Amino acid sequence: MINTKELEKRWYKYKAKMFTLFFLILGIVIMLPYLIYYIYTHTNHSEKSPSSQTPLVQPATVSKEDLKPSVNSKSDKPRQEPTLAPRHEEVVLAPTIPIVDMEEERVTPRHTKKHRVVPKKHLVKAKKATALSAEELRVIQGKDLNKEKPKINFKRSSANYIEVMTKKFKQNENPREALLLAKAYYQEKHYLKAEKWSLIANDLDKNSEESWLIFAKSKVKLGKRREALKILASYYTKSKSSRAKELIEKIKSRSL
Amino acid sequence: MKSKYKEIKNIFIDTVDSESYVELDSMKYNYELLAESLDKPLKMILLFGRPGTGKSMTLNKLYVNLKNKREIHYFDAPILSEKEFLKSIYEAMSGQNIPQNMRVNFDGLLKYCQKMKGQREVVFLLDECQLYSEALMEKIRLLSDTRVVKFVITLHKTENEDVIAKEHFKTRIWEVIELSNASEEDLAVFIQKKLIQKGFVEVSNSISKRDIKFIHTHTKGNFRETNKLLYTIFNIYEYYDLHQPEKIDQNRFSKKILEMAAIKLGYIHD
Repeated sequence: MINTKELEKRWYKYKAKMFTLFFLILGIVIMLPYLIYYIYTHTNHSEKSPSSQTPLVQPATVSKEDLKPSVNSKSDKPRQEPTLAPRHEEVVLAPTIPIVDMEEERVTPRHTKKHRVVPKKHLVKAKKATALSAEELRVIQGKDLNKEKPKINFKRSSANYIEVMTKKFKQNENPREALLLAKAYYQEKHYLKAEKWSLIANDLDKNSEESWLIFAKSKVKLGKRREALKILASYYTKSKSSRAKELIEKIKSRSL
Repeated sequence: MKSKYKEIKNIFIDTVDSESYVELDSMKYNYELLAESLDKPLKMILLFGRPGTGKSMTLNKLYVNLKNKREIHYFDAPILSEKEFLKSIYEAMSGQNIPQNMRVNFDGLLKYCQKMKGQREVVFLLDECQLYSEALMEKIRLLSDTRVVKFVITLHKTENEDVIAKEHFKTRIWEVIELSNASEEDLAVFIQKKLIQKGFVEVSNSISKRDIKFIHTHTKGNFRETNKLLYTIFNIYEYYDLHQPEKIDQNRFSKKILEMAAIKLGYIHD
């Protein structure tokens, strides 16, 4: 006669295994869309920042050569490094007066990168003024021109701008907005905030040269010169950016 | 106390018995092909397929159907000794018994066959021919060349071996009939017919299409494996019927028992 008790035990074990397998598969099926979505969003994010960059604040080994204020730098030809791409973006981020940028914002869609051509100095040469300067005129007319100057409330417009940009950043978390905010705060001499926003901008876009520079500049303004130099040197070793080098020299010569 | 399931399980004991032969469409076709081949002027007919595809059953059915119509002899077990084989052939053809201390000379047997050319045609059905030696197969071929003796042989087809490719079959086989495993529909008919033949109509009706699918998936439609599985199923049924009758539903085929039998035979693993 067949050993049914033993067989029943084995059958219960088999059933338990089948149920576990069923729920496992069910779990996978349910989780799959979430997983695909997660992978998809992360892949998209990494596509925006392709090269693996070091975070902004990172202890770096700085070679003496990098920090040396190169005297011959003017005579040296600038190295042909792939720093051209960030430079183009830098042109877009160039406006230092926030109001100008707001206008541009309205005209251009967010994702299209518009490269504004900066006119070369030698192309348009202003003729030396032959008319009397305001100073001379004041002396002649005996008037104090400074008193008559219309007062422009920069602070007010800048505050509005910051408000608008902060709101905008909250909506889309675009590194560009963060960078503009960092710039605006730097202009307003809110260096702590400028430092914070440049960090955010860099976190979102590691390639943004401007964010490195503003961060370093804010550090200098906050009295952390050594730290700023370290950061810039670390960035320079990676990017070989002439702007970074220039800033290093400026900080070293205390001309910032 | 006796359980009806004891009788049911015995239906599925694997036997080569013409009474338990179940006529399926595919089997019927192969049988007719074989019967027709016997009427053709062929020397050898090969019936081959995987174990459990019904070769022996078909051969047995052929023998039972034709034994009163023509000279036909069925060797269900292979005779491995050449001496015994030649003796059995001669005895079958002459109707004489050869004394133990005597043997049949092959050349003599060949001459004996040649003498009867055009007068007689004797059919020998040889099962499990893969067990015969090369030398004996060569003698079988020479005997079939006389056109007096015709052989129908069955061979196992294994995964790695194509019997047709074997040297001694390459040029000597004239008709090849391959038997294959049953389809799901054929298997359902096979099980139902077996049960109905013995009067267990209600049991046959309780087996659903889903159960048949389960059986077919695990036995791959092999008749021997199906018999084995159904025997185990009704063996479990018998146990429950005698000891725990509350565990079985007389009107419904138990999926649990089906799976238990599959575990027992190693088709599924716990």
